[in-house]
Amino acid sequence: MSKASALKTSRDEPVRRLHLPQKLRNLELFLLLIACFINASAVMLVQLGTLGELDPTLVLLGAGLSALVIGLHIVLRFVARDADPFILPIATVLNGIGIAMIYRIDIADNQGGWESAAVRQTVWSALAIFSAIVVLLVIRNHRVLFRYTYIAGLVGVLLLFLPLVPGLGKEISGARVWISFGNFGTFQPGEIAKIALAVFFAGYLVRNRDSLSMVGKKILGARFPRFRDLGPILVVWALSMSVIIFQRDLGTALLYFGLFLVMLYLATGRLSWVVLGMGLFLGGALIASQTLNYVNGRFTNWLDALNPEVYNADGGSFQLVQGLFGLAKGGLLGTGWGQGRPEITPVPQSDYIIASLGEELGLAGIFAILALYLLFVARGFRIGFAGQDDFGKLLSVGLAFVVALQCFIVIGGVTRVIPLTGLTTPFLAAGGSSLVANWIIAALLLRLSDTVRNQPRLVV
Amino acid sequence: MNVSELTLLVLRIGFLLLLWMFIFGIVYALRSDLFGQRVRKMSTDAAPAAAFPASAVPVAVPVAAPAAPDAFTAPVARASPAGANSGVDGGMATAQNTTRLVITSGPKAGTEFPLGADTITIGRSSDSSLVIRDDYTSTHHARLMLWNDEWMLQDLDSTNGTFLAGARVTVPTKIPLNATVKIGATSFELRR
Repeated sequence: MSKASALKTSRDEPVRRLHLPQKLRNLELFLLLIACFINASAVMLVQLGTLGELDPTLVLLGAGLSALVIGLHIVLRFVARDADPFILPIATVLNGIGIAMIYRIDIADNQGGWESAAVRQTVWSALAIFSAIVVLLVIRNHRVLFRYTYIAGLVGVLLLFLPLVPGLGKEISGARVWISFGNFGTFQPGEIAKIALAVFFAGYLVRNRDSLSMVGKKILGARFPRFRDLGPILVVWALSMSVIIFQRDLGTALLYFGLFLVMLYLATGRLSWVVLGMGLFLGGALIASQTLNYVNGRFTNWLDALNPEVYNADGGSFQLVQGLFGLAKGGLLGTGWGQGRPEITPVPQSDYIIASLGEELGLAGIFAILALYLLFVARGFRIGFAGQDDFGKLLSVGLAFVVALQCFIVIGGVTRVIPLTGLTTPFLAAGGSSLVANWIIAALLLRLSDTVRNQPRLVV
Repeated sequence: MNVSELTLLVLRIGFLLLLWMFIFGIVYALRSDLFGQRVRKMSTDAAPAAAFPASAVPVAVPVAAPAAPDAFTAPVARASPAGANSGVDGGMATAQNTTRLVITSGPKAGTEFPLGADTITIGRSSDSSLVIRDDYTSTHHARLMLWNDEWMLQDLDSTNGTFLAGARVTVPTKIPLNATVKIGATSFELRR
């Protein structure tokens, strides 16, 4: 507000805005309406494909979700008029396709009514979108987060290790990354931790990058850091290794370490950090694969998946290979919503939702979903590139990259590019904590993009 | 099952088409990000250069960047009707003594732009703080920033260069008050 009034007073109004702000919002509304139409038609096609008729109850539930997304859009019209118009529609489509697939698997498993996974996912989506609205209303300027750098770091680490607290933590299929609230359900605090850690890394690196980037010896053309500057990277490395050992979760560890490495590279512009970090992580993972049973199993399943012994073994590659069979069955155009049999694969609605979607939508559908992720991440990078302050730049690229890396880890695992590790596919997979975290990321990117565009500007 | 196979096939392909149309709609809306902002046509004598912006030859264009520092007098004299000769009236531009940026030549000559503590980015891209849309400006051309309370000018590896008092800027350079900074066909000065 103060900026706008300052502009007005400076002589016969020479400063003009390039865009009329509502132009962006109108574009967003248009895309959002298409997104809601895509979501509704996905649910209707599921019903036609499985039941052979339309059942209005869940369509109504979907309409509730559309109303919430439009609500978020209206909030943006008031508090972030210049925010990026593409992030919200993309997130909406991904979320809606996820709900449609979860609904489809519910029908296959004969789960209906208000207890089913699809209804839970819809309720969680509503909560997630609501928390995105709250974030947009509370954080009016991203630089506020810069003040809480170290608190964010502390919160991140605490959330990360919360599941290890006896009585609170809960172990599901080997990994101890959930906390349970009795009958209410479970929550994966690590998902929220990734936002807190991104804020912490951004703030920390903006404050300390000079000592990390300026000095060091030159070896083979690359400037390597001094030994005493290795502290931060070793701490984060130790953190992610302890996640591998105590929580038995390879994916989460890879996610946090990758996030730190990329932000370090962005802040210092030195490739030697990346080389060093990847060496450290590969070394750690190699040792883990030799000493820890579950990591070793993951590697065997990955390298020797189609071996009948591995396939039939307890905790073997059955799931992975079923997913691959599903993807193969889908072919180019897929079997169509409700026409395939994705429910044969274990956990088809969370870790393996990409395989389920690949079976029913085919390669064309998978590529469409990947293109949506690509656009989402590219918007994040773009916001970082256009940003004026270093903290905002680092934060937006970090948040976008964490989504990209998570997609790579989980989709790469399902398609057997890398060893499979349990992570959720952002926006798509069943899981409340993941939805909340990713919608908060979307909200932060919207806030950052608004700040980037909202500066005094002159067009010649 | 009262829905025929054919209907399902059509609906299936229709859904994929809808999804891809959504994606191409987004890509179409962001085309300026992918291919850069459209350039504005310059006056007729610059038309040949306008056709090939990347290969614009400085000599062929009347107000384009001078090749050597000793050639700067003509454009500067033309550019600053206020009669500012660079760096003469006192000191470098700092956060304390500088309040505005004044355009001295180009289509918007005379326009002012308030300076705060924020970095000012200059370029053809619409997310710049100062958007200059002509053939000689790169998408992200240059930026003005405060280093230790002094305004610095940094060229962001632009095609046609940024000139401070006639000399091409290669490293971040302090800006004297009232010195002419020239980007493409636009010049501006930092003033009190």
